[in-house]
Parts: sequence; C-alpha cells; structure tokens
Amino acid sequence: MNASILARMLRHDWLPLLLMAIAAIVVLALISASFFSNYNLFVMLRILSVTSLVALSQMVTIAIGQMNLAVGAIGGLVAILFGAMLELYGVPIPLAVLAAIGIGLLCGAVNGVLIAWTRINGFIITLAMLSVFTGLNYGITKSIPFYNMPQALKTAYDSYLGPIPMILFIPVLAALGVGFVLNRTRAGRHMLAMGGNPAAAELAGISVTRTLIFTHVLSGGLAGLAGVVAVARLGTAEPSIGADWLLASFAAPVIGGAALAGGHVSVIGTMIAVVLVILLENGLLLARTNPFYVQFFLGALILLAVMFNQWRARRTEARRASGRVVPT
Amino acid sequence: MLDTVESAAGTRVGAPSWGDRLLRVAHAGGLLVVIVLLAGGASLFVPNFLSPFNQFALTRNLGVDIVIGFGMMTVLGLGHMNLALGAIGACAAMAVGFGLQTLGLPIPVAIAGAVVVGALLGALNGILVVRTGLDSFIITLATASLYFGLMFILTRAEAFRDLPVEFSALGKGRIGPYSSYLLMAAIVGAGLIVVFNFSELGRQMLATGANRRAAGLSGVPVNRVTIIAHALSGAIAAIAGVMVTARLASALPSIGEDWLLPSFLAPLLGGTLLAGGYVSVIGAALGAVLLSVLQNTLVLLNVSGFWIQFFLGLALLAAVGMDRWRVVQTQKRGTPGR
Amino acid sequence: MSALLTVSGVSKSYPGVLALDGVNLRLQAGKIHALVGENGAGKSSLIKILTGVIEPDAGDIVLAGKPVRFSRPRESLAAGIAVVHQERNLIPRYSVAENMFLDRLPTRYGVVQRRQMHDGARRWLDVLELDVDPATPVRYLSVAQMQLVEIGRALSLQSKVLLLDEPTASISEHEVERLVGILRRLRDQGTAILFVSHKLEEVISLCDRITVLRDGQNASDAQPLAGMSKDDIVTLMVGREAAVTGLGTRTATPGPCRLELDGVATAAGHVGVNIKVHAGEVVGLYGLVGAGRTELAKALIGVDRVTGGHVRIDGRPVRVRSPLEALRRWRLGYVSEDRKGEGLILAHSVTRNTAITVWHRLRRAGGLIWGGIERAFIRPLIERLDVRTPSLEQAVGNLSGGNQQKVSVAKWLAADTRILIIDEPTVGVDVRTKGYLHRLVWKLADEGTAVLLITSELAEMIQLADRIYVMNGYRVVGEVANSHDYDGMSGTLMQIIQKDNDVRFQPGRAQEERGGQHV
Repeated sequence: MNASILARMLRHDWLPLLLMAIAAIVVLALISASFFSNYNLFVMLRILSVTSLVALSQMVTIAIGQMNLAVGAIGGLVAILFGAMLELYGVPIPLAVLAAIGIGLLCGAVNGVLIAWTRINGFIITLAMLSVFTGLNYGITKSIPFYNMPQALKTAYDSYLGPIPMILFIPVLAALGVGFVLNRTRAGRHMLAMGGNPAAAELAGISVTRTLIFTHVLSGGLAGLAGVVAVARLGTAEPSIGADWLLASFAAPVIGGAALAGGHVSVIGTMIAVVLVILLENGLLLARTNPFYVQFFLGALILLAVMFNQWRARRTEARRASGRVVPT
Repeated sequence: MLDTVESAAGTRVGAPSWGDRLLRVAHAGGLLVVIVLLAGGASLFVPNFLSPFNQFALTRNLGVDIVIGFGMMTVLGLGHMNLALGAIGACAAMAVGFGLQTLGLPIPVAIAGAVVVGALLGALNGILVVRTGLDSFIITLATASLYFGLMFILTRAEAFRDLPVEFSALGKGRIGPYSSYLLMAAIVGAGLIVVFNFSELGRQMLATGANRRAAGLSGVPVNRVTIIAHALSGAIAAIAGVMVTARLASALPSIGEDWLLPSFLAPLLGGTLLAGGYVSVIGAALGAVLLSVLQNTLVLLNVSGFWIQFFLGLALLAAVGMDRWRVVQTQKRGTPGR
Repeated sequence: MSALLTVSGVSKSYPGVLALDGVNLRLQAGKIHALVGENGAGKSSLIKILTGVIEPDAGDIVLAGKPVRFSRPRESLAAGIAVVHQERNLIPRYSVAENMFLDRLPTRYGVVQRRQMHDGARRWLDVLELDVDPATPVRYLSVAQMQLVEIGRALSLQSKVLLLDEPTASISEHEVERLVGILRRLRDQGTAILFVSHKLEEVISLCDRITVLRDGQNASDAQPLAGMSKDDIVTLMVGREAAVTGLGTRTATPGPCRLELDGVATAAGHVGVNIKVHAGEVVGLYGLVGAGRTELAKALIGVDRVTGGHVRIDGRPVRVRSPLEALRRWRLGYVSEDRKGEGLILAHSVTRNTAITVWHRLRRAGGLIWGGIERAFIRPLIERLDVRTPSLEQAVGNLSGGNQQKVSVAKWLAADTRILIIDEPTVGVDVRTKGYLHRLVWKLADEGTAVLLITSELAEMIQLADRIYVMNGYRVVGEVANSHDYDGMSGTLMQIIQKDNDVRFQPGRAQEERGGQHV
C-alpha cells in the first residue's frame, strides 16, 4: 500500500518538488508575516519572469545532451542592443522586442553552426562564445548602461492581461511553448531523441546537424527574450545583465529532473525548481539572515536534488529489471 | 619457448618511435613559435612591453595563470572538470589570511594549512563524483556555489588586509627582471611532470581518463584515483589562491571569481584533451604564456579590457579549430593497412 | 536478371586493419540473399557502408541503375534501403510507435498526430503478431520485443531493399517462423532482401542466393544456394582449414581446484551456478548470446555482485570486491570480449596497455616509474607473443585486430595470473592469429593456469576445452566432457540448450526469470 503510493509519487519528476515547494511556502508564511504581502509576491514574480526564461533556455540544450555556457552572455548582449534600439534609435517597442529576440536567435545560430561545422565539443564552443559575446557587450557599451528606457516598456511589464499579471504570463506562456515544442512537434521529438540516443537517432534518419542548430537557435532566442524582460524589469539596459545566470540556468533544470546526458527534461519540474530557488532566496531574505547563505544553500540544494534524482532513477531501473514495475 | 609463426615482412618490435614523441613536441613547438613571434613583435612594436615594470607584472600574473591552468589540467586528464577551482582558490586565500592574521601562524604553516584546505575541498568533489556517479560538471558547479557560500558565511565577506610583511614580500620576489612566481609555477609544473610521466598514479589517472571501464577491469583503482586527482586539483587551486593573496597583500573574498575561462583556455590551447587520457604540462604552461602575452600586449596598446575578452574568445575558437583541423588531416592520411 | 543493388570493388580500411578488400555483392529484386562470414570477415563494415554509417575508400555502389554514395544514414534511407542492425538502436524513453516513425512523424499544422502514429504502428505490430501497446515506452520491452519493433520499423518503410543483420539473434523460434513467412511474402512482392546470419540452417532453408566473405574478401561471389550443404558454406567461410584447426591433441593434467563456484547467485540474475576450474585445465563456458556468461565473469572479478552461494579460490571462500582485488590478491584475470571498449585503451601505447597490471611492481626508488623500465619488462612478452607493431609506443588503436587481441591478453600474462577468464578471444581476428591464440590458451593451461574459456564459436570451444559447461538463461544447464569430435559435440551442446529452451518457453508458462526481460 505505502509502496505503491511512493512509487506513484516518484514516477513524476515534479511531484516531490511540488511538495517541497508547498512545504517551503508554508514554512515561509510561518516565519514571516510579510511573505504573502503583495509586495513580496511581486518581488518573487519579477525574479521568476526572468529566471524562468533563463532556465528554459538552458533546458532545451540539456535536452540534446549539451550545454550552452553562453546563456548569460547572449542575454546581456541582447539586453544592451535592445536598450540601444530604444534609447538611441527610438525604435517602437514591439519592433525592438522582435528584433532583440531575433538577435538572440542569431547568436544561438552562430553557436549551433560552429558546433555542427567544427564538430568541436559544445562546451568549448559556447565557452569561447561566452567570451566573444561578453566582450562585444562591454566593448560596445564600455560598461555604461542605457538608462533611458521608455516608460511604455515599464508600463507593459507591470500590466495585466485580465486578472493575470504580465510577469506571470510571460513565464507560463514560455513554459507552455517550450513544452509544446518538445512534446508535440517534430523538431522537439527529434531533439529529445537525439539526446536519448544520438547514434540511434542518426541511424533512424534524423538530421543531427539540423536538430543541433535548431536547439541552439531556440536556446539563444529564449536567452534573448530573458534579456529583454530583464531590461523591462530593471528599467535600464545594463551590460551586467546575464552575468550571474550561469548557475541558475543549470540549477533549475537539473533540480527539476533533467538528465545532463540528454534525452529527458521536465518543463514542469524546471519551472517548479525555479520557484523553489526563488523561495529559497526569498526565505533567507525574509528571515534576515546573512545573504551569503544563499550561495551555500543553493549549492547544497543542487547536490541534494541531483542525488535524489539519481537514487530515484536507479530505483525505478532496478524495479523495472525485476519486473515489478508495470509499464504505463 | 612458444613456437612463433615465421615472421613475414613487417617490422618487429623496436626502439620507441620518435614519430609519436615528435607529434606531441610539434604541438607544443607550434605554440612556442606563435609565442616567440608574438613576443618578438611586441618587443619591437609595443611601447613599454620590455620595460622592467611590465615584465615583472606580466610574469607575476603569468605565474598565477599557469598554476590555475595546471589545476584544471589535473582533472582534465581524468576526463573531468573542476568548476569549483576558483571557489577553492578563494577558500584557500581566506584560510591563509585567517591563519596569518587571526591565528598568527608562521607563514609556512599558514600556507600549508591553506593547501590542505584546498586538497580537502577537492577531495570532497572527488568523493561526491564517485559516490553519486554524476557528471563532474554538475557536481563541481554545485560545490563551487557551496564553497563560495561557505567562505562568505565564515568570513562574513570581510577581507584580511593586515597580513605580515614577510608574506606580501613573497609576492614581490624577483629573479632578474622577472617575478619569482614563474619559479613557483615551474616547481608545480615539474611536480606534475613527475606525477604524470614518472609515477604509477599519473599513469592510472590517464588510463582512467582515457577509458574508465578498461582501466577498472585492468586493476586500476578508478575511484581512488578520481578522488586523488580532484584533491590534487584542489591543492593546486589553493596554491594559486595563496599566490594571489600574496600579490594583493590581502585575502579578498573576490579571489577566484574570474578563473573559469583562463583555467580552461591554457590547458586546451596546450593540447590537453577535454575528453581525458592525455595532458601536456608544457603545453598548458605555454598556453598560459600565449594568453598572458596576448592580454598584456592588448592592454599596452590601450585596447579596452572588454575587447580583450572578445579576442580571447576568438583565440580559443581559432586554437581548437586548428587543432581539430590537424586531427582531421591526420585521420585522412591514415596509417598503412596490414 | 539485372541486380537491384550492385556493390563492386568496395574497400575500407581503418588504421592497421583492412576490413574490406575489393568486395562484390549483387542483390536481385525478388530474392533473399544470404551474407555469411565469420566474425571479422567484413559483414558489418559492408552493411555500414550500405547504410551510410561509413564511407568506402574505394569501389562503387549502384542502386536501381544509378550510382550512389551515402555519407549519412538519412541518405541511404531516402534512397530506399531499410535496415535492421545487429545491435539495438532505439530511443529508450520513446514509445514503440514513435521509434518506428521517428523520422516520419505524422504532423498536421506542425503538431505530431499521436493517434495516427499509433494506428500506423499497430498495423505493423499485427503483421508481426507482436502484442504490445504502441504507446509503450520501448525500455519496458523485452529484448525480443525490441528486435521485433525494429523489424517492424524496417517493414513499415516498405523499401525496395531490406538489409537484416542477425535479425533472429534474440527472438524465439515461433517468432522466427513468423518472420520467415513475412520475408518470403516480401520477396514474392519484389523486395531485394539481404539476410546476414551465422545460423546456417536458417540461411539454407530461407535464402535463394549466398555471398560468403572471408577476411574482408569474397570467398564466393553471389551464387545460388541450391545444392549447397552446411559444410560447403563452412568451408568457404573458413578457408582451406577445416572447421577444427589442426592443433593436434592435448592431454590435460588437471591439478588442484583453483576456482570453485558453489550455488552462486548474482545481482545480474544468475542462480545456482556450480562450476569448477582446476589448474592446468581449459574449462569452457558455452552458450548463445544472452545466456549470461560474460555477466558471470564480471561478477567473478568483482564488477558485479555475487548475492548468494560461495566462490572459492584455492579452496578458500572469497569475496571479490573489485578487479583490483581480483588481480592483486587472487591472481585472477579477465580478458574482455569487448577489446576495444573494455580490454584496451586504444589511445594509449602498447607499453602502457601491457604494463597497466604491473605498474605497482615496476616502481623504483621514490615510487617512480619511467618508460624504460616498462618497456624493458614487457618487451620480451610482446616479442614472444609476436605482436606486430612498428614500436612499443605505437597507439594500440592502430594495430590490427589480431595484434590488439594479443596485447589485451599480454597484460594478464605480464601479471602472471593463475586463473584467467578468457571471453571471446578470437572475434575479429585473422585466421593466423586465431590459431596462435588457440595454441597460447593450451600453453597457458600446460603451464598451470586455470583457464575458463567463454566463446560462442562451437568449433573453437570443441577444439580447445577439456570440459564444457553449458549456460542458458543465466543458469548452468549442463556439463559435458569434451570428446573433441565436432559433429558429436556440437549436437550434444545444441541439444542441451534446446531441451532447456523447450522447458523455458512452454506456451502459457509465465516468463519468470530475470523479470521477464529475456528471450
């Protein structure tokens, strides 16, 4: 009886995480009266609006078993170019947003093409491009942010679509979109196939090159979108946007149950993991502890989460091998 | 004596082929040529390149960069990564600061303590990798955060600025116009050459990196070797951290934050394989030299620091691209069939 | 009748190995064409070339009158060549249907149509009478079911050319019959079918024509199968030498029992294994693919866990926890069946690969070793084994298969093991080296080593072993003394397996062993 409940719980990547998140919310509400205040909720949502996109950007690369170390660098570059378009060239906001995303797609394409063409490990390529994009970023801006973002941008960011605030709408829409691509489109199915068994995917006739480039383009686009949203959130286009994205971009998908080797990612898990990380930071803030505890606990959380996922995967495998798991 | 089949045409076992040795030297040699050209050009055309001040500063930073590169190279040989290199360096820096300023330990003891701290943190990385079977990337990404956080918590992010004069003097040491940090780097390098070329452990590390399963089946204690390699990496990171502390004459919590790129660049440029199984100590050192000279030259030419980063990224691409091209060429030519 | 697919003069070489040397093949529409040859004859290289996995160094391929050259699998598929490879190539987390249609996922407005996919898959599952829900993730299927899914995938492509590489390796006789029926129907509809198999009875009963490869060359060009006997085929496969290599005889003088397995069970699924190996004996462990022999060896050397029973070495109960312990403490070695993946470090030199087991013994003052010491120690060994290499520092990956195998054995000789498990020693090895390795096995036994020989090659087993244990389904199901008479022994061994399979596969009987994950 107990065993089967446990089994069902473990089958979904995100169920234990959801429980943890709920537990965290309860704890935080108990610790601090101001947890549920409008202000606090909005602070968390605003962080969510950016971090979720960052996590999704990395997640799609993890899906094919690779890494995109340039996520933050692309975000930063797109952010300042977006700011430049708005401040220096008076481009209308919707157009600028599209163009900025386009730049993100282009950066991703450069990554993908380089990896496919040179056949060099994606780690090295994106490490090098991290440097290239960051250098471009700071070289163009000389460290000076674009301060004058149009008021309309901020208004749009703080607006509501019916009862739903835009800052919640964005991550939810992005998650649905990515989930849809991965689950229901040919490109997405090819991506996860390539991650699950690259040799088999190639033998089955999938174009590994095309899938690779598509993935990196998607990753770059999401990173670019994150940069745009970050500018809207901050109200200035700062070159330092993206500088601290790397850890979070890996932490969330991995805590959410993604296999670094590829072939298995969980959109829901990733999103809940982002929420969990934000709750952690928020909690430490509310408890007025040393802000430096964040880094420590974040690292610990990642370790615990990956070890848990590992244990769970081994357990399922062992039970399947002994014939006790009924296929769904 | 087993009856051997009559020998057909074809060379039997002979003296070690110089061809293999030559190929490895060629890679390092190629780097050396580029460095010589670059340094030569800089000496001629870049003002102040040869000035004693510049040469001292250049070689002092170079010494640190070489050691950082060595730190990463050690686990690269295993086919692993150590993203916590910078964090361990920072922890070691704070440890030596703590030891000198707060505990008043004699300098050698404080330094030794810091190195031990580094080794322990590195060993913890290795233990986690072995126990969980997870990729060293994600483990060290997490421990980097953990270690940085731990350091911040313990020190409350306060720097140690009152270090004994004798300690900071270490950072000022000279050999001629050059910094004595080069000597330190050379000592670490010599130690690594001994480990990788002349010890059982080094052979085991490279075997594990090249093919873990085969190594394990042949009796190599792969788990133990993994932990030792990571511990070694941590110890070397600690040495780099101490070197930086002496150079700055204070232990700052920000040490190690920018070590990621150089720690990979130097060994990769020098021919160490990301996949494991082969390292080049000389290559990693030369790689660091190339990067330092390049950076130094660009700074002297008043190129903005950020464009430098841009060019470094391109340099890495070019270097691995050329390397890849060379490998493809060798494969195309192939070796004669039987 | 002109051929649908013509391969002429195709050659392919790797560093140190000439895999294919001017090979010809002609596949005609409406015929089932057998491709046979020993391990290492070049069959898989040829299939890889035809399916775009690798490119030939020389030669032409003409398909339906047009010259073609495939640089990736997609191109071969697009040209109309479907294939079922020897090893499984499925995406574990994906469903049966999705695996089948992975490159042809049905979409409408960009959205994958699952129902359509499942219906399509069901059609082919029914043809194969495979009763599996198309939505089942493939990783929950048995090995046999997985193979049938891949066969279904190939069938669903409905291509002009169908290549099957050991398609019956993991499926039961009943399913083989069904497959044979399907293939005959396809043939009558005009498909050109290439059937690669080492089961010669199947080949003779099913195929119309045959091409035999030996050592990378045609031992026979395409010829009708009618009138050929199994021996005729074997003679072509093996060359002038008879099925049994002329090694003469050997009288075994077994010494004390070195290795004893008493009711051993393992985490891999073995139960009740009883085996004894004495010093000076060559004990064979025979079985088909999937019988669990390699897994047993891995448990003995400490890679996998022994969960029950006793393992005794020299009479003492032992618990081997790692290959390191097996080697250093018990002088127990294991020559892996997968020499490229597990037996050797291809990127490293002959020296390093051979000395890896004895580094701890080669240390000098201060714990240092240098290349000179290694080379001095192993050079006599390498010379004695007649390993052909330009130098000791040559990367092992550049040697020929036979020489690689010698190196993979050499390191255990260097360690002076007293018990040696040898797993599939002559796969992908040229005939001369094969004979050499056979003599080496006997010599090791004569010198007192206890040898446990695992091989799927009947001829090799019957030639070398003094006694033979038969394994099936992760159990030992028989033990026979070896009469060295090929026809008699091969019959006996096959019968033992057959009888056991009859018991295991009784219709209606629940598949209990190993969680139903076997055939």
